[in-house]
Amino acid sequence: MADVSVKKGLTKGLIKLTVLLGIGFIFLFVLGRLLPAPSEDGYRVFPVIGSRVWVWIIAQLHLNFAAFVLGVPIFAVSMEYLSWRRSDGRLDRIAYDFTKLFTLAYTITASIGTILLISLPVLYPKFMDHMMRILGPTWWLYIVVMYVEVMVCYYYYYSWHKMKNNKGAHVAIGGLLNIMGVIMLLITSSWVGYMTTPGGVSETGELISRWHAIKTHMWIPLSIHRLVANVVFGAGIAASYAAYRFIVSETDEDRAYYDWMGYTSAMISIGFSLILPGVGYLLGVEIYSFNEQMGIQLMGGFFAWLWVMQAILIGAILMFVNYYLWISLNKMPGGERYFKYVKYLFIVMLLGYAVWLTPHSIALSLDEARKMGTYHPVLGNLGVMAAKNTAVVITYLVTFLSFAIFKMSNKEPVVSWAKLGNALRIIIVAGSTVAVLAIGVYSYMVSSSVRVKVLSPIQFGVFFLSIIALFILDAKMFKNAKIIGAPRWGKMPERSQYALIGITVTFTWLMGMMGYMRSGGRQYWHVYGIIKDTSPDAFLPTHGFAAVVTSILTVIFFALMGLLFYGIMKLEKKGGQGGAKA
Amino acid sequence: MLKIYPVIAIIGLVISIGSVIRKSPFFNFTGILVCIYGLLKSAEYVMPALPSQVILMYMAMSFFSFFIYFSIQEETFKAFLEPMRAVFADDNKALLRVLIVFIGLPLFAGYLTYVKVKPTYDPPVSARIVHPEPPSQMDFRGKSVNVLGLENPLRKDAANFAKYVEEGKKIYYQNCFFCHGDDLDGKGHLSQAFNPVPLPFRGTDTIAQLPESFVFWRVSKGWRGLPAGSGPWNSSMPSFEDFLTEEEVWKVIMFIYDSTGNKPRSW
Repeated sequence: MADVSVKKGLTKGLIKLTVLLGIGFIFLFVLGRLLPAPSEDGYRVFPVIGSRVWVWIIAQLHLNFAAFVLGVPIFAVSMEYLSWRRSDGRLDRIAYDFTKLFTLAYTITASIGTILLISLPVLYPKFMDHMMRILGPTWWLYIVVMYVEVMVCYYYYYSWHKMKNNKGAHVAIGGLLNIMGVIMLLITSSWVGYMTTPGGVSETGELISRWHAIKTHMWIPLSIHRLVANVVFGAGIAASYAAYRFIVSETDEDRAYYDWMGYTSAMISIGFSLILPGVGYLLGVEIYSFNEQMGIQLMGGFFAWLWVMQAILIGAILMFVNYYLWISLNKMPGGERYFKYVKYLFIVMLLGYAVWLTPHSIALSLDEARKMGTYHPVLGNLGVMAAKNTAVVITYLVTFLSFAIFKMSNKEPVVSWAKLGNALRIIIVAGSTVAVLAIGVYSYMVSSSVRVKVLSPIQFGVFFLSIIALFILDAKMFKNAKIIGAPRWGKMPERSQYALIGITVTFTWLMGMMGYMRSGGRQYWHVYGIIKDTSPDAFLPTHGFAAVVTSILTVIFFALMGLLFYGIMKLEKKGGQGGAKA
Repeated sequence: MLKIYPVIAIIGLVISIGSVIRKSPFFNFTGILVCIYGLLKSAEYVMPALPSQVILMYMAMSFFSFFIYFSIQEETFKAFLEPMRAVFADDNKALLRVLIVFIGLPLFAGYLTYVKVKPTYDPPVSARIVHPEPPSQMDFRGKSVNVLGLENPLRKDAANFAKYVEEGKKIYYQNCFFCHGDDLDGKGHLSQAFNPVPLPFRGTDTIAQLPESFVFWRVSKGWRGLPAGSGPWNSSMPSFEDFLTEEEVWKVIMFIYDSTGNKPRSW
């Protein structure tokens, strides 16, 4: 992109946002007068695909882009901070590349947000009236924060080179950007939280306490879940970008850089994903405590199948990640020494994956149901939480071991206690595996409350403790280690890059399906138990239909992302490295 | 009678071992998949057969995972692709090319199509919902009951716990045991007359996963109260509100939890 000064950049951002908001309000005003009045119960119908599918696609696309522009700044600023403290030019470049990505993605995010802003009040006026009545002030706060965030974002980006001698201040601006992002996230999560687990209103929907309408059961758990998931997703998209750039690179230097960028992004993504099951449970517990009917529906009822789907997809993601790490051994001098361990890691991964995707509710023919009964004597035991948690923790442990092997594969320890260190490593890995398995078996014998509130956290605790112990051990053992050779960045087969793209596509699809589930939990309510959905769409679509919609919007999302990547490359070609003016 | 599936598993294993010796990853991959399929199908000789849906999932997972496994190292991946490349490109493989590409694959695709479209008298496979979602409110003999947050009132009277369980036991043997069994394992005298068979209460995956309010709703309303997604055909459970009082339902629930050592889900 052509080099732009800070002032011009800020003006551009301000104009873009104001124009988009202006378009939104003008459309709302005009459509409100041109279109026929809403039906008696407060709906207008979107042509051909219906209002629900239209809003579904637009909202999910907006959420995908929002997740990206809120998630990426977190690690972009972290990278910049590290580059500043370590005076590492490569980290600075990657931080800048991340920033370039999310700054440009803001425009698409805001544009889709504008379409959503027009669509909701036009198609669902009665529901939006209610939302404005209850949470109206948060909407105005949202607009203000959005302006501030965009301005801070543009300033952060366009001042990159100008402030290169004042990195501390620049990192602080990045920190402010993230604070704004978190506030935006909290505001939007309060809307969804209110719709799903409402509070602060009477049974007829009259406002009693605005603060309680904001501070619902779901608010904080959902915000935490989204915050972590945004980082996972944002880093995944950044990894895809790097993979794409790697594949189309024409020089070894570019390939080396994008290989490293892809690796760094993928590790950030998968590293943060380790926290997701825990915060997911927190969200689940809150939903159950709000309404066990909704909890059962989401966990064991109509939506139980989506957990099987989720297991299949997350299993595939972990398999892709491990594959990427195993294939990366090829570029490490000395990496070939570790190939002999890969088959064992693979077998454990495969077994864990098999347990994880074993469904509790199984699709059966009448004949199968007659022979098997309600539950299969073996599969029934693998389909429950005790087995799933154990499998998840073990596969995460394997993934960490794959990462540890990759990191140490080009080094040889020189400390005198290296043999003892290796023995300790085996003890930690074997000990934590046995502990996780034993807790898993014991989980079958206790009540669900003990299983969820006590044993599951202990299982994850054992995992985190063991990886911390391994981290410390490796840091000590490989201090001043003999380096066999530097990693040959860029010497990766192209198929490894498709694995990175595969991870992100899977994440995106999964996010769509989980969104359908979270939204479907409300059943025929706009605001659960308060505002009934009386539109023609007041029924839960089938999983098959949801899968089709999610697939279509995943394709649209990646088409838009492709355009973004292409746009960045085109502008880079036009104006050198482009972007912010030095 | 020849048990075919263990034979298939052994054939797969032999192919796999042979191809390890001959260093042919492609046939190793094929052998492993054949062996896994044989093993999964062989399960029916020692336990109820694995449902075809589960076998399909395991096979898809194995295919995906082993494929990526064989592509980790460059040489292995090249050797893996070699048989396919040879069939498509080598001049001396023309006959094999005709047999596989122009005859074998179309015939296989035709067979799959035939299997897919051939008329069948079997009812379609149903994605059964084992834990249908309860309503937030129900009526019990005309009395409105909030299922949401509903608690067993008898549990508050801890002093009479044993008495209630004993009374619940009598109710169970007068009403439930014919289907759910003497040992509460779902194997009552009449159980095989139903499809799906009645629920076992033992184990960790049925009532242990459910709050008492859910069980109260299911016992009271039976198949008639199932939501549309679960379909009335997926249960033969009678509506026990027609035969039992509210208190009797709670007592029998206390008995089935107590005698199986399970505890109601509390969140």
